[in-house]
Amino acid sequence: MKPLVLALKQEPDQRLDLSPLVPHLLDGKSAKEIAEIELQTTREKITAGDIFKIRSGGAGSIRFEGGSLRLDNVGQGLKSGEIIVEGDCGKSPGRKMSGGNLVVAGDCGPFAGSAMSGGRLEIGGDAGDFLTAPLEGEMEGMTGGLLIVRGNAGERAGDRLRRGTIVIEGAAGDFPGSRMIAGTLIVLKDCGTLPGYLMRRGTIVLANPPELAPTFVDCGIHELAFAKVFAGLLRDESRAAARLLGRPLARFAGDMAALGKGEIFFPA
Amino acid sequence: MSEARINGKPASLAAAAERAAAILSLARMPVVAGLGTDVAGARAAILLAEKLRGAYDHMHAARIFADLDVMRQAGLMFTTPNEARLRADVFLFIGKDLTKIWPDLLERLSPAEIPAYDLAREPRKLLWIVPGRGGGKVEGLAVQTLDSSDLHTALASLRARVAGKAVYGAKGTLRKLDEFADVLKNARFGVAVWGGDGLDSLSIEMLHGLILDLNKTTRFSGLPLGVGANAAGVVQTSGWMTGFPVRTSFGRGFPEHDTWRFEATRLIESGEADAALWISAYDGEAPPWKKNIPLVALTAPQTAFAREPQVCIEVGCPGVDHDAAEFSRETAAIVGRLASQPSHIPSVATIVGEIEKYLGGDA
Repeated sequence: MKPLVLALKQEPDQRLDLSPLVPHLLDGKSAKEIAEIELQTTREKITAGDIFKIRSGGAGSIRFEGGSLRLDNVGQGLKSGEIIVEGDCGKSPGRKMSGGNLVVAGDCGPFAGSAMSGGRLEIGGDAGDFLTAPLEGEMEGMTGGLLIVRGNAGERAGDRLRRGTIVIEGAAGDFPGSRMIAGTLIVLKDCGTLPGYLMRRGTIVLANPPELAPTFVDCGIHELAFAKVFAGLLRDESRAAARLLGRPLARFAGDMAALGKGEIFFPA
Repeated sequence: MSEARINGKPASLAAAAERAAAILSLARMPVVAGLGTDVAGARAAILLAEKLRGAYDHMHAARIFADLDVMRQAGLMFTTPNEARLRADVFLFIGKDLTKIWPDLLERLSPAEIPAYDLAREPRKLLWIVPGRGGGKVEGLAVQTLDSSDLHTALASLRARVAGKAVYGAKGTLRKLDEFADVLKNARFGVAVWGGDGLDSLSIEMLHGLILDLNKTTRFSGLPLGVGANAAGVVQTSGWMTGFPVRTSFGRGFPEHDTWRFEATRLIESGEADAALWISAYDGEAPPWKKNIPLVALTAPQTAFAREPQVCIEVGCPGVDHDAAEFSRETAAIVGRLASQPSHIPSVATIVGEIEKYLGGDA
């Protein structure tokens, strides 16, 4: 079945909320009905038809042609199916997604994959601050699924991560893995200051670590069978991450200020 | 009488209000920024934002959210300055500019005094975590200081030592940390006092964790000094009006809170907001953004602007020129203040009311 194609006509002059444009909400709707969906976030009304040229197809697969850093909440609550964005998108793509596949070819704003619980999110370019983090007043960040950033990520990537795997193939900003509860965060290039600040449990793997906080304790060098099994699972998604996990790794336990059951690995 | 200007030229108050209403109602996304005003001014400004379907933010929002984000994602324990003065046998000060942030801090807490309601009635202990040597002196009291250029790691190390966990550090630093940990654990009622830009939400969450850990065996609480321009009062006003703190928008017709999307400077620099109302009645601060957008300013007299606003109306200082309700650090609550030097300069609420008169029905 052909995918549903939404081709961006021009850069919107206000931020738009794209959360209604997900497969389970568009299923069974005609192109005309989709065109009438309101997306505005100011008093100026903008419908999907105003901003996108719509070519109908099966709603199980949605393709956005062109993108903008003002398109927020792309793929919010995605349960199944696929959304491909051939461009940039704004704040929190993949917010609270629980299944399916969301691919953003370009860059995205902050809070990508915020509180996602399942599925696969891939960002081809750079991600903003607070990757997978909880929003204002929420207690948990990502709780499941797989997130891959091919470029760099901003500050506090994986904040309050609870479960699931994040791979950042580029560099990470300051405080990656802050307040982690569990889960896995892998950073393949440089990493900002104080990784794992306030982490309770969970695993951070850094190819190029900065000086760790004094509350991380040296536990020696390990060749872990589990890391190799995990590397096998990741190989198809990120060869470089798999290679990193296959090497002998130094292990530091922390954050001793919090529970201290987390760990930071880096090549020995 | 109040001074009003349109494009830098003196104008009548009515003409200025009419021009301001025209600028704000023509905008797709107006933003009410600054919000340095009393409770009545904040109420009027937030109602205006609702009418205009714009967003509103406070000039010190970053500092506000350093505390508030911890409170709403992890929790915080608070006490009042009076409670601290009467009962605390241990003070833990964190940050270097505490007495600059609140000049009356030491007078209000009287650290050198024996706490009136402490049963042991022993001299207080004051610990101060402060960057640089020589900082943190209090008359009449021996202050123990921990020199720390990095508050993140200092607080983390201290919390780990209080919990009896291993940390790395030079021998002298570790000895000092253990001395501090000992004093904290033996406190009967300790109070942590913090403020300033050196602390972000992560270090405050670490401090909150330390306070929680200490409460397993004794009593310990917190006293954030917050920030000026009635920030705490405006946040509370916003809370009872919309259910949210500042950085809230009425763009869709209902209040929506988002600390990233509705940050005033970001909204303006990105071109998403196309007109601004700037309010600074306390200190007469100028807007921090660089982009040139239609601007209406309600500020204290003699405010220096980088670029003359389209409309500028002088407003009085709450509690000085006119009676005002505002947040008071002394009581940690909203109080009424009588004008100390009553004048005829109008309040923010009065001027916002004037502007509102000229708004069309559909604005």
